[in-house]
This record gives sequence, structure tokens and C-alpha cells, in this order.
Amino acid sequence: MRDPDVATSVSEERARRFETGLSRAGLGLVPKLGRRASDALLARLLRLLADRHPRAFEALRELQDARVLIEPVDAPVALLMRVGPELSLHALPRGADGLGEAAADAVVRGPYARLLDLLEGRIDGDALFFRRELAISGDTALILALRNTLDGEDEMDLVADAVSIAGPLARALPVLRRNAGPVLDRIEAARRLLPPPLRRGIERVEARITGALPGTLPGKLPGMGA
Amino acid sequence: MDNFELICPAGTPAALRAAVDAGADAVYLGFRDETNARNFPGLNFTRQDVADAVDYAHARRVEVYVAINTYPQAGNLGPWQKAVDDAARLKVDAVIMADPGLLAYAAKRHPDLRLHLSVQASAANVEAIRLYRDAFGVRRVVLPRVLTVPDIARLNAEIDIETEVFVFGGLCPMAEGRCSLSSYATGLSPNKQGVCSPANHVRYEQRGGALASTLGGFTINVFGEGEQAGYPTLCKGRFVAGAGSGEGPAYLFEEPTSLNAMDLLPELKAAGVRALKIEGRQRGKAYIAAVVRAYREALESFAAGRPVPHIDLQAMVEGGTQTTGAYTRAWR
Repeated sequence: MRDPDVATSVSEERARRFETGLSRAGLGLVPKLGRRASDALLARLLRLLADRHPRAFEALRELQDARVLIEPVDAPVALLMRVGPELSLHALPRGADGLGEAAADAVVRGPYARLLDLLEGRIDGDALFFRRELAISGDTALILALRNTLDGEDEMDLVADAVSIAGPLARALPVLRRNAGPVLDRIEAARRLLPPPLRRGIERVEARITGALPGTLPGKLPGMGA
Repeated sequence: MDNFELICPAGTPAALRAAVDAGADAVYLGFRDETNARNFPGLNFTRQDVADAVDYAHARRVEVYVAINTYPQAGNLGPWQKAVDDAARLKVDAVIMADPGLLAYAAKRHPDLRLHLSVQASAANVEAIRLYRDAFGVRRVVLPRVLTVPDIARLNAEIDIETEVFVFGGLCPMAEGRCSLSSYATGLSPNKQGVCSPANHVRYEQRGGALASTLGGFTINVFGEGEQAGYPTLCKGRFVAGAGSGEGPAYLFEEPTSLNAMDLLPELKAAGVRALKIEGRQRGKAYIAAVVRAYREALESFAAGRPVPHIDLQAMVEGGTQTTGAYTRAWR
């Protein structure tokens, strides 16, 4: 379990950030599959999560029918989660037509990495809210019910779960995780030797790969390029 | 010298495991209904959850206490009495209660069940505490958060049951168990329904760059851009005192600060305190793991005679500030 006061190594943090960026890029691709295919993919993910976390998903189905919009402010896509007997998950392009917010009983907004940490139970939602890193609106009781239900599970690993429905990638993830930290450390060391214009060019490409919107690239870790 | 016991909150099974693994001596929790004072959506334990929690905790030599600390409603004693019966059946180590009628029921029906007096009873003087001991066999009292350390020392010198005090978390500045602010605004109270400022009456609204928190339609606070936000608990709201006074809104009861008495361990030990309690059954497991771990580290240093380390828990607190509360100042 992780919290803001427990230092993880720069290497681990760098790997987590990379993984977060990739998963955000993956999420960005989901609506591009078309409504039917993306709904089917997310339904499959929900079924898998329900198998792994039966207590939480039973509780989500017992809630009254309602919709929560989970909106990462630095990603192109938001998720609309319907709780209650008709539990489902939909991906929507963010801010395209405001449909998501209009359909939602409650909205949770924040940086993608923080929302992922929160959904996986790695960080305290109240502390994020107190610090204004997370904004909520609409039905507060619904948001609390969702938060408490997911937080009642031992730490989730949504990235691994999402990847596990993508066939061969599932086998690659543990290897990638084992090696990502050291490899990224070496890349970072090499990056510092590059001339600034080239460094900035690489950063722009990275931002495109990880799906960050212009001007919303997450803050850099100590030791990363300017 | 006996060590302090560290009593830690859990609102979910995962939070209980986090508390146990981080170094709790005992974990307190509630059933999933109005019988406890943290009756929030999605929170708390089914009977099966409690059975599993007892197994997990006892296997690691950690105790489990069940809070049944709201006041039963006239004509509807069933849920409270069933909670007591189930707690005894599930072999929890103590129940934490406030209502004299319920204490009498527990003492009579389950004479082996250890009884703790909840902070909700607001027992703050020698006579009241002796009454609960003599009448019901209460073994420990959780003291209200309105006493100074010298008050606690004087109290402990005159009573022969254990005392437990809050050391970290949200502060309730009222006479607990008697506060009706939440009832006034929402019709629901911490004392009967187990909800102070219930979430289904809470709304957050953006007002320009500011964030307004409302409860039952009343604006409780407006946080400026960049200012730490808080939950709209009525006693921690900003209000205008005296219409037409020209004064702006201000904190009339208490600022949204969090208690942290880690620096007072020597004084609390000298005052005869037996157990230290962390508040926050409504908080996530990451909060519980971080705070319990920090306090366990502090207690180990203290027990070994080393200086208590300064452990930064700033990221966890409401309002962004910490206080030693009433412990180091006379109550107003």
C-alpha cells in the first residue's frame, strides 16, 4: 500500500508514471473502437473485475440505479459508470458534447494518475479532496458509496486487470514491470546527456504517446529532464 | 511501565487488514446500520465481515472492538440489542457503547462481554464514570475531547478503570452525544442515526474559483482558490455572527483542523492514560495504514526511551493544520 508519506524509489515512481501514461493512452483508444466494441471491451473488463472482487461488485449492484462520471482532466476520455442492478461502464470522449455530465448523478474530476491511484486504493481520497486535487459534484452520498466500496477491497491492480483481457500483453506486463524502472533510469541518464532541443523534441513525442493533452503533462520527478 | 495500547479505526475489511498489518493493538469497527456513529454509505461490516475480521485480527494477536454507540430509538430497540448479541456471538473483545439502557442489556445478557464507554456518552467527571463502572461493570472509558491533560491526570487519580483518549484525526469540539446541529440542518443526527452531516445532504458547488460546501441547503463554507477544503460539518463551518455587524464569515465553533497529540506521549503517560485512539473509520485504507504506522513507530521509540520522532502526517489531515486540541488549552 502506498500513501504520500511513504517514499517509493525514484525508479519505482518513474516506472509507475510510465505505466500510468501508457494506460491513459490505452483508455484514449477505447472510444475509437466504436460504441459497440468499446462497450463490449469494458463489459469484459467489468466481468473480470467482478470475478476478482466479488464483495465490491455485489455491493455496487446493490446500490440504487445511478451514474457516476469519472473524468480525468488530462485525458481525452471519461468513464461513465452505472451502478445498481444494471452495472456497466462506458467510455466517452471528454468534453465533446457535455453528454456525460448531463447523464451523470455525480462527477469525480482529477488528474488521471490520481484517479487511478484512488480507484486502486493506493491513496486516501479524502486527503486528495482536502488538498483540492480532486473535485466532486452532484450526489455526494453516491460518490462516498462508490469510494468506500472500492476502498474496501485489498489493493486493486486495474492496469494488470485491463491488460489481462488483451491476450499476449498480459504475459508481457510482469516482465515490463520488472524491467521498466531500471530501463527508464538508464534512458533518463542518457537523456541528460542530450542537447536541449533534442531533449524537448523527445518530450513532445512522449506526451503524444502517453495521450496527455497539450499543456497537461504531469509534473516531472526529481532528476527528469527540464 | 505498561505500554500504551494503540486503538485504530476500520470502516472496511481492507482497512482493518491495513490497521492490523501497520501495528494496531486493537481495531474498532461498526455494523452496517444505524447502531454506530459512522453510518455512512458503503462503509462498515456485515456480520460475516466481522467474523472474518475477528479471525484475521486474533490470528495476529490484535483485538477487535465493535462500536454500538448510538442511542436506540424509543420503540425500536431491536437493531441495537441484536448488535450486542451478535458482537458477543462473534467473540469480539469489547463493545463500545453509550446508552445506559443498552449497557444494562449487555451487562445482564452477556456478563463476560467487556464493556467500554463510548466518547458519545461524554463522561467527563469522576461521578459519571464511577456510575457506569458500578452499574454496568464498564472497564474502560473513552474520554471526550474537551479535557486538558491535567484534567485527565486528576480524573485518573480518582477512578480505577482504564482511560482511552483520542490522539489523531477529526475533532469533535461539542459535548459528544448531545450535539443537535446536524439534526437541525438535516433531520438526521450522529446520536440516533449515526450520521453527523450526512452525505446525502451534502453538496459541493463551484462558485467561480471558489468551492462552496453545503449541508441541507445551507452554505457551510466557501473555500477560496487554493485553500484547503473540508467536509461541511456544521461545527467547522464559517458563519456571519450578528446580522448587519459588517463582519465577514468566520469560524465560530472550531476551525477544520485535525488533532495530533504525538508530541504529548510523555504527558499522556504521566497522566495515567491506558490507550490511544486514532479517529477515522470513514477514511480510506491508505490513511489508516499511514497514520497507524506512524503512531506505531512513535510508540516504539517512546517505549524504548528514545525521543519520539517527528513524523509528518500533514498530507492526511483535514483543513491542512494540526492541533493538540483541548489537551494543552483550557476549553472555552
